[in-house]
Amino acid sequence: MWRLLYSLLKQSHDRGRTESDTIGTQIKFVKSVLWYHGYGRPAFYQLPSDGSQGSRELLLAFSWLLNRISLLEQLLTANRVKIGDEASVCMCEDNLCNSWQGRTETASNPCVKREVDVRYLQWLNGRLWFQWRTLHVDQQEQCKLLHKIHSYTSGSHMDQTIGHFSVTETDLIREPDSYKQLLQLLESENSRLEAFLEWKELEPVYWQWMETVLDTLAEDANTYKPQDVCKEKNPLPNANLCCHSASNIIGEIDTLTKDLVTLHDELHELVTCKKSVWYEKIAARESTLPDEREFCAAVRTITEAVELKLSALKYHCARKKSGMHGPCRLVFKDKRARKTSCLSSVSKEPISSAVHASEVISDLRMKEATLERELKRLQEECRHKLDEIAEGLVGVICIPPMKR
Amino acid sequence: MLEDNLTLCRALLGDWKVQAPENPAPEGGPKNAQEHEPSPKELEELELLNRALEKALRVRKSTLQSPTEGVGTAKGETLAVKKPATSAATTPQPPLSKESGPTPVPVAPVCKKAASSKKPSAHMLRAPYRTDPVRAPSSRSSRAPKAAGKNSAKGAAPHRVRKTLSAASVCQSECCAAAKLSGAPRPPRPQQQSAASFDRSANGQNLGAAIQQGADPENDCPGSPAETPVAQSRTAGEVPARSAMARTFTLQEKGSVLRLPLAYRKAYSRNGRLGEKCHLSQSSPTAAAAQNGFLERVQATFCSSAPALSPAELEEQVTVLRDAHSLLSQSLEAESTGHSAWEREYECLLTLEGLQDAAAQCLHKLQLLRTAAAAQMALQPAACGSGAGPSPAGCTLLRGRRCGQMGVLARPLLFYSTGRELRDMAALKLRVAMLRQKINIQKVSRAELLSILESRRPGEPPPSLLYRAVYTQLCEGDAPSGAASSPFPAAPPQPNVDSLPTRRPFQGSPGAVPASATRHCVFRGWKNGAWSNSSVAASPWMSRESPNCLSPSDTLQPLDRTPMCPGALTAGTHSRAECSA
Repeated sequence: MWRLLYSLLKQSHDRGRTESDTIGTQIKFVKSVLWYHGYGRPAFYQLPSDGSQGSRELLLAFSWLLNRISLLEQLLTANRVKIGDEASVCMCEDNLCNSWQGRTETASNPCVKREVDVRYLQWLNGRLWFQWRTLHVDQQEQCKLLHKIHSYTSGSHMDQTIGHFSVTETDLIREPDSYKQLLQLLESENSRLEAFLEWKELEPVYWQWMETVLDTLAEDANTYKPQDVCKEKNPLPNANLCCHSASNIIGEIDTLTKDLVTLHDELHELVTCKKSVWYEKIAARESTLPDEREFCAAVRTITEAVELKLSALKYHCARKKSGMHGPCRLVFKDKRARKTSCLSSVSKEPISSAVHASEVISDLRMKEATLERELKRLQEECRHKLDEIAEGLVGVICIPPMKR
Repeated sequence: MLEDNLTLCRALLGDWKVQAPENPAPEGGPKNAQEHEPSPKELEELELLNRALEKALRVRKSTLQSPTEGVGTAKGETLAVKKPATSAATTPQPPLSKESGPTPVPVAPVCKKAASSKKPSAHMLRAPYRTDPVRAPSSRSSRAPKAAGKNSAKGAAPHRVRKTLSAASVCQSECCAAAKLSGAPRPPRPQQQSAASFDRSANGQNLGAAIQQGADPENDCPGSPAETPVAQSRTAGEVPARSAMARTFTLQEKGSVLRLPLAYRKAYSRNGRLGEKCHLSQSSPTAAAAQNGFLERVQATFCSSAPALSPAELEEQVTVLRDAHSLLSQSLEAESTGHSAWEREYECLLTLEGLQDAAAQCLHKLQLLRTAAAAQMALQPAACGSGAGPSPAGCTLLRGRRCGQMGVLARPLLFYSTGRELRDMAALKLRVAMLRQKINIQKVSRAELLSILESRRPGEPPPSLLYRAVYTQLCEGDAPSGAASSPFPAAPPQPNVDSLPTRRPFQGSPGAVPASATRHCVFRGWKNGAWSNSSVAASPWMSRESPNCLSPSDTLQPLDRTPMCPGALTAGTHSRAECSA
């Protein structure tokens, strides 16, 4: 049972990294995941690490997890057969673990060695740039080929909304082996989906059963007092894991706090500045202002409009942004081919699940612009600081590089 | 995301050179380092292979198709005509002769077809059906569009020949174009081989049944299943000839008439249906009630000293706040313009005030979250801090949750309408990722390097070199102008080139000047491959502004050749630094 949980959770959480298979680590992992999600039954965490006891507890934990993180749905989604050419739309930041914290420590070496590091850093920078460039070139190539394949095979797909083959599908015509494989995968996925639908129907039974399990456990547990258990600062399955993620979170919170504080200050400045400008304006234009009542009415309308705007904003702030995450299937839809596609019922496709590249591109452009601005800002700051430092250098004249 | 695309290509090609990332430095970037696999060459190989095997398909089809199907058929034959492989020379003959085929068996069906050219139809089509169901539907459906164009059964050889010849040139040009595109003219041999292997593997597969299944009702072909055994019997014989005949037909020619095998189609549509159902399926009310009841009870048994916010929830909240932050900044930027009308100005003011409040609220929430997180930390046993360790499972948890939250089995579609769009999209994504990385690097290195410089200041000789390096590092790296068309322009505005500051620190000790000049040049040489042999002179330094926009590859060449370069430099500079110090 542990192993089952382990493999399931590994799939959905760890992206399939394989690790040691000892039951001990598996148990630790499972416990840590459950802790992460907030499962708080102490008895669970006290189960021994050899997996010998506690099947009922495990059942409870499993059921809890089923509901809590929609385990089944996640697994199904994660294991979809990749038929189409995938592209992902979301630009979620890779929250890099602070795995480089360790490395920055090595930089705090004796001063003498600094120059090494700086140059090395520059060298690495150049290399990094090179690799980005290579990646870019390769990607462009791939896009070109994808586009070709898509356009060459357009009109062939039985699914009219898609209309052309993906690379996988083209390949499967060519390679009967991969065809068989893909077919098998598809079949198995179909059976999984059917099983899922069946499960949905049988769900009530399951939950009722779980309640009985809980009852039996409660009876047995009447013997010892849960309060004592809680008092022990024990329920920590995997100390490393948890404190790692906790410290991560704290680090993130701190950075976010800093950012928010900067934002807040900026806003504050801007507000005060604008306020003063506004008052001046008003004072200067006192003569030309419309009469009192109109003015108040105008002000009121404006205030209302702004409030509306702000409440919408606040609403969005408080919600989890439900952008599109995860892979989408790339579909080439030539604008010229509209007339043929009109024949098919294009409206069949749910609007919500279709995204257009042009939107994505504009989003990305905005993001790019923002990021560039930020980068420039950071560089400016550094330049200022370095200028200050340069002031302090004796006997040195610094000539900054010419602008291009 | 990138990886997904590239793994797909990788899966298709199978032989991939992984450029191992050697970036141990604080960059620690996302997986870009592993993703250089698909060199353009290999991608083109992919395409050629695709084409090759599509040609094999076409060849088969072409033998099946009616003589009236103009270009397609002709092409199939002309493939034999124009291909450099020697045996191909014989093959054009048989199609032209209407004799029943001698050895090149693909000819046989052709001839047969020619004989009964009146009915360019199903049964002909079926005949050479290989053991490959793929072919079956393909050809049949390829006939469907052509059925309309079925003029008459005039399979006149001369007619075909004419078409053949005309198509030959077309084909040839196409293949030449294809070859040019790939830039690496591949000998037909690999294609032959792949086609041959393909054929062989196609043999002996169950597909007689599939073929019959594949009786596409849509095509209405009065094909007789009796043909299929004929086909299969010919399979063995045809293989060697087929492989000789297999040529590079292009996906371009055939792509629009390819059809997926029926079994696959069925599975696919079933998959789609089931996916839809699952997507829309909700728990029945009873189930939901039972579920909630159970959950509440379990929740009640939870340890009361457990933190109120699980780590997962904490992260979610932080994410929400982060998004809020970006939303607020965007709004801020939108409102930052001046307005002429007082109404607009007032509105702007009010909005900004509102934003300020929102920011304050977010900050407040963040504080709460922080205390919660700290509380969680406090629950940890003292053995924390060594957590840099083995399993960054925490990190993956962080990431995995955000991006895994799609609805069940929603497989959305991303439409693009031109190749340009696709490329732009990819380029922009890459650029955004790169910018993010740069910003992170900038922050980290700024913290480090500035502190170094500042700590050195009092009393020590000015670290000119260090200063320059730091300046370069921190203030370099101008983003190339962000036109999506060329985010990585052909002549990259080499950040290093641009920002090498023209600094001539005049140091106190004269002895240091030549030394530092040397250092400069060496430094320069290191940066710009072309200057590597510049002598100790200030002039290269001054004339730095020559538009020597070398690509990073040039930059790296000296390094690649002399991997010890940084070490050597530093050894040198180290000693010199000590001299001048």
